[in-house]
Order: sequence, then C-alpha cells, then structure tokens
Amino acid sequence: MRLAGLLAAALFGAAAAFPAAAQDAARGAEMAAHRCANCHGDDGRSRMEGIPSLAGQPALFITTQMILFREGLRQVPAMVAFAEGLPDRDIEDLAAHFASLPPGPPEDRPARDPALFAAGQALIGPRNCAVCHLPSLAGREQVPRIIGQREDFLARTMAEYRDGVRVGADSQMNGAVVGLSDPQLAALAHYLSQRD
Amino acid sequence: MSSRRILLGFAAALLAAPAVAQAPAPAPVPGWAVGRPEGSTLAPHAARLTVTPLDQVPVGAIRLPPGFQAEVFAHGMPGVRAIAEGPNGTLFAGTRAIGRVYAITRNPDGTTRTRTLLQGLAQPNGLVMIGNSLYVFAVNRVLRYDNIEANLDNPPAPVDLTAAFALPTEQEHGGNHHWKFATLGPDGRIYTNVGVNCNVCDTDRDKFALLVSFNPDGSGRRIEARGVRNSVGMAHHPVTRELWATNHGRDWAGNDTPEDSLVRVRRSGEDFGFPYCLGTWADPQYNRGRNCSEFSQPAALLGPHTAVLGMRFYTGTMFPEQYRNQIFIARRGSWNRERLSGYDVVVAQLDAQGNVTRVEEFLTGLRDDANQRFADRPVEVHVLRDGSMLVSGEQMGAIYRITYRR
Repeated sequence: MRLAGLLAAALFGAAAAFPAAAQDAARGAEMAAHRCANCHGDDGRSRMEGIPSLAGQPALFITTQMILFREGLRQVPAMVAFAEGLPDRDIEDLAAHFASLPPGPPEDRPARDPALFAAGQALIGPRNCAVCHLPSLAGREQVPRIIGQREDFLARTMAEYRDGVRVGADSQMNGAVVGLSDPQLAALAHYLSQRD
Repeated sequence: MSSRRILLGFAAALLAAPAVAQAPAPAPVPGWAVGRPEGSTLAPHAARLTVTPLDQVPVGAIRLPPGFQAEVFAHGMPGVRAIAEGPNGTLFAGTRAIGRVYAITRNPDGTTRTRTLLQGLAQPNGLVMIGNSLYVFAVNRVLRYDNIEANLDNPPAPVDLTAAFALPTEQEHGGNHHWKFATLGPDGRIYTNVGVNCNVCDTDRDKFALLVSFNPDGSGRRIEARGVRNSVGMAHHPVTRELWATNHGRDWAGNDTPEDSLVRVRRSGEDFGFPYCLGTWADPQYNRGRNCSEFSQPAALLGPHTAVLGMRFYTGTMFPEQYRNQIFIARRGSWNRERLSGYDVVVAQLDAQGNVTRVEEFLTGLRDDANQRFADRPVEVHVLRDGSMLVSGEQMGAIYRITYRR
C-alpha cells in the first residue's frame, strides 16, 4: 500500500478548515505580560511548582483549555478569575503568543535519574502516548506538548486523570492512565520532563 | 496573582474535586485509534470552539442547484449542531465539546439574535421540544426546561429526568459515541440513539448500538432498532410515520468500506447487523460467521466515512415539488479516510413505496478536493415554517438558510 505518501499529503493539510482567524501574537504577548507571566513565566516556562509551562504548546490546545475554564467545564480555582468572561479574541491571541515561544525545560529542572527515566520511557509505548501526542510527544492541535513540561505538574495532572477528578476536551486521557500506580506516574512524569 | 492565592486555589481544588466514579479499565488505546494501521496518522479533526467572525463564515463557498440561495441565518455560535424549534419560533441549538445550548430568535427586522441559553453541560447535543418544554440530552443526563421560550434570558432550573431515562453513562460508553441525538415522534414519544461503546467490538446488543424510544417522562423504554452502530440523526416519514435514521459505519476497515448508511425501520426492534454486517458487507474482524442476509438491509448507502448526521424530510412548499417528502441529509465529513469525503448535504429520493431511488448532491462547495481542506462541517438540517431550510455548520459556528426562488 502506498499509504504513507498519501497520508502525509492528506492529513495535516486536511485537519485545518480553510479560513483561519487572524491571531495577533504581539497583542497576546502584551496581555500575557500582565495576566499570565507571574505564574507561567515571562518566557512561558514555569518556574513555579505545580504550574505548567505554556511555551511552544499548540495554539489550539491553549485555546481549548481556556474555553473549558471559561465555560466551567474544567475547574481550576486559580484560573477562574483569568478565564471568566474572556473574549475569544483574547484567548486566541494569548494562544498564538504562547505557541510562538520556544519550548524548553524549566530552569529549576532537577537532574536526571537514569533508572526512573528508563522506567518512564518503558511505559510510553504500552500506554500508547504517541497515538495522540505524536511520536515526538510534542503534541498537535488540541493535544498538548508533554516533553519538557514540569515534572510536578505532569505527575499531578496524570493522577487527576487517573482518579477521575479531571477530564479533558474528551475522556481519552482518563483511559490512557487508568490503573497506573503512583510510582509509575512518577516515572512517566520524570521521563517526559527530562525529554527535550 | 500571588503565590498564596494559588496555593489556596489548589487546596480548594482538592477539597472541591467532584467524586467521579473510577471508570472500568478500558483499552489504553484511545477509542478512535483502535484498529489504526501501523504508520497511519489519520485522527479526528479538532473542533473549533471560538467565534468565527462573520466575514470568515464561508457562505460564499456554498454551491446549490439552480434557483436556490444560501445566506447566513445566525453566527457566532461555536460548535453549533442539532436544532429544535419552539412553538413561538425560537430555535434551540445543541453542541458537543463547548457544552452550550444556544437560543436564536428573530428580530422584527428579520435579523436574528443569538443567546447562550445554557452552559457547562456535557455534550448537550440532543434537543427535543414538547409543548413549551425543552428537553436537553447531555450524554445520559436528561433535563427538562419548562416554559423556556418565555424565559430565554433567565432559564428556569430544570426538572432532572436522568434517573427515569437511565441511559448509559459516559463511563459505561468508555468515552465512545455517548452523545445523543433526540427527536419527537408522531406518537408523542422521544426517540434517541445509544451509540456503540467502542469503534467495533462484541458489545452488549441490548444496551448499545440501538435506536430507542421513551415516553416523555422517561418510562416505557422500547428498542426501535438494534445493530445500528451510531445514529446522530433521525426523523419520521411525514406520511408513513416510519422511523428513518442515519448510521455511521466503523473506522479502520478501509478507505471505501464500510459505507455510512440510511436506516428505515419498518417494525420496532429490527436488527441492522452491527457489528457482524452492514448491508451485504461482512465485517472482516467481527462477522462471527453470521450470514448478512439475516439482518435488515439499509435503505441506502451514503458513502464511506462521510459522517452522516442530521436528516429531515422536506415538508415545506417553498422548494420545488420534486423535493416534497424527500430526505435531506447532512454529511459532516470524513476523518478516517485518506481523501476527504462528505462535507455536504445530499437528498435521498424516495419512490411511492418509500424505496430510495437515488441519492444526489444538494449543498456542496465546502470540501476542497484539490487541497484536501474543508470550509465547514454540516451537521443538522431543519425545515422552517416558511419552507426554507436551515443547515448548521459546526466548524464555523454558523447556521445557513437555504431559500428557493423560481
């Protein structure tokens, strides 16, 4: 089958509807400096425990999550005041800004633990992470970049999915981490956070 | 924001976390990707949840037969899908990911006003109007909003009918095909779908892959059709009162197989064969030695992976006589196929016996074959009292109105 070539041509081109709204990353940068930088970092790389890095995330991922916050479908109290009533244009501009920033690990990333790293790496295939997050684990569209993310944030987020206290735009992540132990989540979080 | 406030926020989040029951362990492969061949990167298209400005709503791309025109009826409603109409002419529109129900009213000058009527619901796609009450089907939750048209700015607290309907939960569906379409039958019953809890599997055929009907209070559940993988559109024939429905074929069994289909239910409880067969097509993995002639045959095949959604019989008088009592069907468009299919509205033409004689294109222009892109995704069709037809475009959050002038 000559699937591969056709697929490459068909897919990601097809995924986007043709008229795209004009997002203004510069306007987003200005808003982010006042609203987001304190916690998420002025370069979009969080230095704060439990707060995710947003630099280099797919724009549609940020947009989707902000809308889930605004609509009350994803509940994080710290985000309520920032998302409440936020116009779509502001959300899209913020998303364009963060998507344009070069991704990278937080400054305070701890040293790699080779055994934990290997244990985490061994779970990536069996848990089918690459199916949605792509083999690079850099995400696409509404699916986030998970490499280089803060380890503490990844561990907590996966535990929330596992324990059914968080859903995403759909419930795929709840299924992906179901049944994993805390040490397994710790290993996955370590591996992902250490990948560049 | 201070870090103290953040810490408080996290503490509150932990305390306030809703106690959602742990799902039974599903396969770790996401449902949509079960059976995906090695190397394929096909995946569902992401929804757009933000407002598309009017000047970017692609009404100009729409092509129709001679004499028909398309205009933007309402816009600025991200994710707009199913449509129900109140006795005073208010249009209600459901959504999936954005969790909203919209209300659209007409201003004296003929323009429309849109409101976000309800928010924060789980995939409130199924809407039924009975008298002055709006029924909202949000996965397994069933909520009834009484006297809704008089309270569009301040909707009342709903009557919760979830327990009475007892539909399978999102957890029971494993996150697959759990959103609902719902419509009112000529017998006063509510008709809805219970989609299959997987892409394709040996499922509980009394619980999933069904068309079911209920009394409006949730009692009297009756299986109308079995072995229907997932229907997100149905309607009753205006003369024969038979139930017709659209049905999505499974994924990952080839670019051209199986086809999506149109189902005609001649008697309650008919079996349309999923997962064993679709028409004469035997499933390559789940046929289980069944002869496809055991099962009811679809009334028409509607193209591979076209994602057939809303369907309505044309009961108006504005369109030419040839369209009377024919079925308009929205095809939302494919993702599980190398080349795009669907992204249009077709008409299934019926003869006097109710057999489909042909399926022809009606609304096209939203699929760009040369560049493999799409401009919008038609989800619902709705016939207005003046005989014009509404078509909802989920991707661009717009409702188009189709009129005819000879």
